[in-house]
Amino acid sequence: MIEFFLDTSTKYVTISILKDGKQIYFFHDKIFEDLSVKILPLIDNALNECSIKIDDVGVIYVVVGPGSFTGIRIGLTIVKTWAWTLKKNVIPISSLELIASTNIETDYIVPFIDARRGNCFIGVYDNQLNTVKKDQFANFEEFINNIDNSKTYTLVTYDNLENYKYITPKIDVIKLIKKHKNDKPINPHSLNPNYLKLTEAEENFNKKNDKKN
Amino acid sequence: MKDIYILAIESSCDETSASIIKNGNEEISTVVLSQMDTHANYGGVVPEIASRMHVENITLVLEETLNKANITMNEITAIAVTYGPGLIGSLLIGVEAAKTLAYIYHKPLIPVHHIIGHIYANNLKKELQFPLIALVISGGHTELVYMENHYKFKKIGSTLDDAVGEAYDKVARVLNLPYPGGPLVDALAHKGEDTYNLPLPLDDDSYNFSFSGIKSAVINLKHNEEQKGNTINKENLACSFQNRIIKVITKKTMKALNEYNVNKLIIAGGVAANKGIRNEFEQLCDINNIDLIIPAINRCTDNAAMIGAAGYYAYQLNQFAKYDLNAKSNIENL
Repeated sequence: MIEFFLDTSTKYVTISILKDGKQIYFFHDKIFEDLSVKILPLIDNALNECSIKIDDVGVIYVVVGPGSFTGIRIGLTIVKTWAWTLKKNVIPISSLELIASTNIETDYIVPFIDARRGNCFIGVYDNQLNTVKKDQFANFEEFINNIDNSKTYTLVTYDNLENYKYITPKIDVIKLIKKHKNDKPINPHSLNPNYLKLTEAEENFNKKNDKKN
Repeated sequence: MKDIYILAIESSCDETSASIIKNGNEEISTVVLSQMDTHANYGGVVPEIASRMHVENITLVLEETLNKANITMNEITAIAVTYGPGLIGSLLIGVEAAKTLAYIYHKPLIPVHHIIGHIYANNLKKELQFPLIALVISGGHTELVYMENHYKFKKIGSTLDDAVGEAYDKVARVLNLPYPGGPLVDALAHKGEDTYNLPLPLDDDSYNFSFSGIKSAVINLKHNEEQKGNTINKENLACSFQNRIIKVITKKTMKALNEYNVNKLIIAGGVAANKGIRNEFEQLCDINNIDLIIPAINRCTDNAAMIGAAGYYAYQLNQFAKYDLNAKSNIENL
């Protein structure tokens, strides 16, 4: 059985291919710009290197966010189209959980994606990738101050966090897939990004309506 | 000759659309999912919301298009997609979906310029004959194009500032009309009389247009009248505005037909749905023996059928892209 993994939600693109549970291909690199230009050739290259036809893939794991809105949409549109037209099973994965697959010694792992102006996408996981605090859009300082202080934790991020100790992710796709292999696949039509944040226009619209009420 | 079936995708603004076009002029099936009701809440298209809705709907629209046509992907000859100009986040959804389908099914991938698509909407009504003059009028464009053959475009004039549709929407806002206001201005204009003294937009010898002046004139006029305590007659203001627009557009278009010695005119783009503009051109072309084509109203606004029609001719010219095709918000040339 061939399993395909794709993440385009942060500046690091990850493509991994597993055959019968063993990783036979792993790409993980910074794509600075023009993700749209590079992504399909990267996927093509991955399949070619493994001598796999796209229709041989049995299940697709795809990161649905949170993270870069455009990045997520590019990856998801490809996977949605692929899974819909070739009737493939697809399993959505959290970008924060992927970051939290990094192997560490502390009780908790706190994956972090910068969302500017002191805000971030953040969550808390344990070493088995169980959710301790669900993924959310939050003010970083507030969130950190509310983590159970009887527990030790490690901040993990690709971004720069001034004044905080953190480590760079060393993602473990196999660990993540093992955790999710029995998840119920979702219909490709309903595979959608998990932005964790409304658009500014929607937020302002809601505020205006709240005032009216 | 073997029939050519183009699967086309359009997502450049706030419509998610797919279509299957046979041999460049026969519409087998088209699905257009408009987000207009959503954006109306915000008084205009919100790019991030548009992108979000495109990704939610893209595969549903593709599936319905194929189902309606009762055609499988294997029977499709090539895949055409709008790659620009337009909203970048919106364009990307169509482009990624098109590239993925072309990749999976080993089909040629045809990038189509949005405006060329609008021009070819006319090919769905009547096969284009050359040479011709194309007048492209929409919310983002105002262009006069000379075509001596399929896919041979010579831009002879364009707007120096606002597009004509933009001017309509701004005037609509001045008149407190809801979004999208262009069609409402058109409707009001038919009920009013030309009583307001507005300037004629860029009435020179060139084929270029300028609509920011008349837009400002409408804003100032309303402001001045209100200061004097007079209420604006919306119907009359809409009529006065529309008459100026029609006058300058028809004048320059008829001049182009005359100077290029062409007797075929096609009109394209969202503003081609404007009844005032349609009526005036129909009359003028009748008098001057000009062969006029205007798309059906629902093919004036954004749709993938027009992309499939244009894509057919690009296919004949082997205008193919690779899987590294990117979306472009701006494209200089047609």
